[in-house]
Amino acid sequence: MVFADVAISVHQSQTAICSGGGFWCTVNQDTLISSGIAMLVTLILGLVVAANLRHGRPGKLQMIFEAALSYVRDLTRENVAADAAFIVPIAMTIGFFIVVANWIDFFPLQKPVIPANSDWNLTLAMGLIVIIVVQAYSVKVLGWFGYLRRFTKPFELPLPVRILFIPLNVLEEVVKPVTLSLRLFGNILAGVIMVELIPQLIPVWLSWLPLSLWKAFDVFLIGSLQAFIFMLLTIIYFGMAREGLEESENGAHPPAPQPV
Amino acid sequence: MADPTALSGALIGAGIALGGGAIGAAIGDGLLGNAAIQGTARQPELAGRLTTTMFIVVGLVEAMYFINVALIFVLISQASK
Repeated sequence: MVFADVAISVHQSQTAICSGGGFWCTVNQDTLISSGIAMLVTLILGLVVAANLRHGRPGKLQMIFEAALSYVRDLTRENVAADAAFIVPIAMTIGFFIVVANWIDFFPLQKPVIPANSDWNLTLAMGLIVIIVVQAYSVKVLGWFGYLRRFTKPFELPLPVRILFIPLNVLEEVVKPVTLSLRLFGNILAGVIMVELIPQLIPVWLSWLPLSLWKAFDVFLIGSLQAFIFMLLTIIYFGMAREGLEESENGAHPPAPQPV
Repeated sequence: MADPTALSGALIGAGIALGGGAIGAAIGDGLLGNAAIQGTARQPELAGRLTTTMFIVVGLVEAMYFINVALIFVLISQASK
């Protein structure tokens, strides 16, 4: 049994949208289809909840949404600031979309429908959007001077040492969208590979057992967890974009909390 | 079909990468479980919150390994063309 004998195909259905083909001109049809389905489900669920809003006696779906929304709002308030409410819709939409896109994988859909997040193009797009908004927020909150000053972390060191840290800090900013998107992509693609690999390694009359176990684990645990982590890291990156604000306002470090 | 020598080299490399990545992820999970158990033993009333945090960090730790696995398969499928 050699890996190469196992027919694992990733994104075979590519279409050229302009003449010549090549890197910039091909579209992964399977990603378009599955992310389109996920977008439709997300939109329809959101609109259904919005249409059936009831005050005082909420429905089940509304209760789930309200609990999730208040959780995200608390996270934002703790990690970023009380006045940064615009992050809540961004984080909530991204998290909800990823959950839906991952859970669709649970249904035994045939090709060309594969989980949308097993294409790096989609996750990298989400990661880049998050990081661009984070940079814009950082400039808006700290000003251009504070934004550039943030690249000389850590602030308590003397200036010549801080200049040495500039390349590291720039690298950290550049790597953020890559790790954010690769984390989600790697998890989901590994799940897809396992789903394709199990029936080829184990005889058919037995393969339903590991396959169903793996699908339950992969979709409901890893899929939800990775969506949550993506959302959490989005909020945390927004929080990191404010670094240096409290110091420059107060002129000193806040006092350390007393042990209780 | 690819050159058998290149393919066997690719498979050996994939095996080393899979094994090394698994070692790292296992050590990380072990440290995490250790810390969670110690924290629960010290303050049993925090068990629920510690478990939630533990699973989030398990996701973060194992993400590296899953990236590893996915990229290995992508590279192997490229090499075996």
